[in-house]
Amino acid sequence: MSSFSASSVSKRGSIVPPLAEDPAFVDSCDVLICGTGIVESILAAALAWQGSNVAHLDRNSIYGDSSAVLNLDELPRWVDEVNYESAVFSNAKLYQPRPLDSKKYFVDLTPRVLFAKSDMLQLLLKSRVYKYLEFRSLTNFHTYENDSFEKVPASKQDIFTSQQMSPVVKRQLMKFIKFTVEWERLYNVWGPYRDKPVVEFMTKEFQLEQTQIDELVQSIGLCSSNDVATPVALHRIKRYLVSLETYGAFPVVYSMYGSASELSQGFCRSAAVGGAVYKLNATLTGLDVDSKTAIFNDGSKVRWSEKLVVSEAQITEQVRSKIPSSNPEYQINHLTVIVNMDCKEWFAEGEDAAIIVFPVGSLSSGNTKTVQAICYGAESGQVPPGQCIWYLSTVQGGATGQRDLEEALSKMEASILRESTEDFEFQVDQSDVIFTPSGDPVLSSVKLGKSMKDFVPEKKLTYLIKLSYNQKTSIPPLEESIKDVAKNDGDESPVIVTSGAPTEITYDGIVEQVKKIYAQIVGSDDDFFDVDFEDDEEDELTGMAKQNKKQEDDDHVPDFGDDMEL
Amino acid sequence: MSAPRKTTSVKLVLLGEAAVGKSSLVLRFVSNEFQENKEPTIGAAFLTQKCNFPDRTIKFEIWDTAGQERFASLAPMYYRNAQTALVVYDITKPQSFIKARHWVSELKSQASPGIIIALVGNKRDLVDDDESARKVAEDEGKQLAEEEGLLFFETSAKTGLNVKDVFMAIAQKIPEEQKAPSGGLRGAEEDSRVDLNSAVAGPESSCAC
Repeated sequence: MSSFSASSVSKRGSIVPPLAEDPAFVDSCDVLICGTGIVESILAAALAWQGSNVAHLDRNSIYGDSSAVLNLDELPRWVDEVNYESAVFSNAKLYQPRPLDSKKYFVDLTPRVLFAKSDMLQLLLKSRVYKYLEFRSLTNFHTYENDSFEKVPASKQDIFTSQQMSPVVKRQLMKFIKFTVEWERLYNVWGPYRDKPVVEFMTKEFQLEQTQIDELVQSIGLCSSNDVATPVALHRIKRYLVSLETYGAFPVVYSMYGSASELSQGFCRSAAVGGAVYKLNATLTGLDVDSKTAIFNDGSKVRWSEKLVVSEAQITEQVRSKIPSSNPEYQINHLTVIVNMDCKEWFAEGEDAAIIVFPVGSLSSGNTKTVQAICYGAESGQVPPGQCIWYLSTVQGGATGQRDLEEALSKMEASILRESTEDFEFQVDQSDVIFTPSGDPVLSSVKLGKSMKDFVPEKKLTYLIKLSYNQKTSIPPLEESIKDVAKNDGDESPVIVTSGAPTEITYDGIVEQVKKIYAQIVGSDDDFFDVDFEDDEEDELTGMAKQNKKQEDDDHVPDFGDDMEL
Repeated sequence: MSAPRKTTSVKLVLLGEAAVGKSSLVLRFVSNEFQENKEPTIGAAFLTQKCNFPDRTIKFEIWDTAGQERFASLAPMYYRNAQTALVVYDITKPQSFIKARHWVSELKSQASPGIIIALVGNKRDLVDDDESARKVAEDEGKQLAEEEGLLFFETSAKTGLNVKDVFMAIAQKIPEEQKAPSGGLRGAEEDSRVDLNSAVAGPESSCAC
């Protein structure tokens, strides 16, 4: 038993009997994939079901690659590792004042939400991978303005009942929303603004005000500024609108326990069921492109016949010179905190998640890009009850981006303390209320001050974890022109380097990227996941489909009314 | 069809060395008399098998390792919310019993604390004809099961010996009101989750993915 793999046992720290010597890994395959990120994992599954012989490896001991989800034991190790050497992450800092129960926390390096109408969601259904996962809804998109978090009025009802908007604004807003759900067909309206910032289009053609534009473009559309090209922004605003009412009155869902990493695990399992072979803890240490042979740190030598697909984070110094670099040049700054409050004030009834957007210019740091925050409570499975995890990010790079994030964090802290304070029940009687000269009732400041004093220490916000890092990707933010996503020396190259994560907090663009690579390998994407899965619930499915037949329109659009009367 | 009754979904994960008969056990289980109407389906996600009991129906969602345990750690997703696990070894292969110990300890550290584990020594048929083929004594299995609080059976996927009994024994240990062992993840809160298959527009839209 001299040569049994000590690493696989000792790293878990448990005393277990030695395992048999690992059997030899495969020595050849059609497609060799390094990295278990979301792009590589979907690709592995698609190729496996298409009939390709797939070997899928990762240098890490967990799935997910640069989109991994880490517990609190793994987190400090990750910070050390990426500060030492990483093509994707840098400048990682972790603050944890006291020990926590590691296994109760899941920190997502690249949190994403899933629009109810999106190609990723369709793929999850088609591939049956959704069966491995659990999803919850997210209704509330808040926009930070004038020192408070406004809930974005996006449904017809919200707009009608909104107290903030004048009838004129309501009418313009309804007109714009009605236009947006069918904007592609109305080229005559937006055509002249094809290359112009959407803010220009919305101001001139719909007379919308700054507040509404911020909400539509940056909150609902999750664009990084109002300068995004008109069609890009319209596409993204529509994405939200058509997603509403798909499953219910919420636009997005999220997978529990983490985002891309959970999907990766699901697709990897699907790939394995389809015949792909898996190996973790396998670092690429040698490469002979001419003979299409890859060598790994454990001594395995794998020959591939079609392509080697490798993610940026899997490329080690030993092989870098032999692989066309994808040269990630765009930045995402991340700031993640776990707080000791449940933050229910931000969540819709029955939910435990919200998105908060800080539009351009809304922070005292003078932010020129939005800051987006996803907040999850315990129902996400990522933190214990009574706590909340806030994921803040911005495509603003460098120290400027970090300042914006810190500033947004302090606004969130102030807001949640204030909002939870407002929920505090005062013992108020008539004598506590005084009236201003104009007749407005005001609570006696003496009483208020006393209550606040009783209250504040109890609700002090504590950061249990604070983590910041910088991520690089070769996918440009929206303002930049779209480049070819998969970098390589053309279809002839035996090596394909996948791009990093899209710069936004959804899965958009990922399925497209995978299909492109798939087509590069197989010839076309016609048979992408064209699998007729036998399914024990086929009957139930058919029944459900029949039941829904009356909703005949596939591209179901919520009813925004033909004749709005305001 | 009988009157509608309560159906409890139970996630069952399979663990054990390669070639000990994990899949055969499950195939035997889902294709013998428990099977009511159709052939087992393999491929998409996991095998499912409904078992009717006088008071309720238990629907096993059976997750095979799909070979991922050979060179990789199984993903956390594999263990998550598993209410029960079969740890299988081959009674003619001592190494597979050592590995079974390993899997039991892995389950104790990775899976939910209340997980019901059944230890299964498979390939009894090989021993019935020739007792010298046995390399793991029945008592060894029993002892491990007692130490770790596991159900224990010796089975033959080939003849069907005890196969049904394993799943019956597991089913009996599944609480009536199913609550996930680790704080109610699969049972009580099920309603607040979104079933992606229940879209208003139907599951098979014409999206080109």
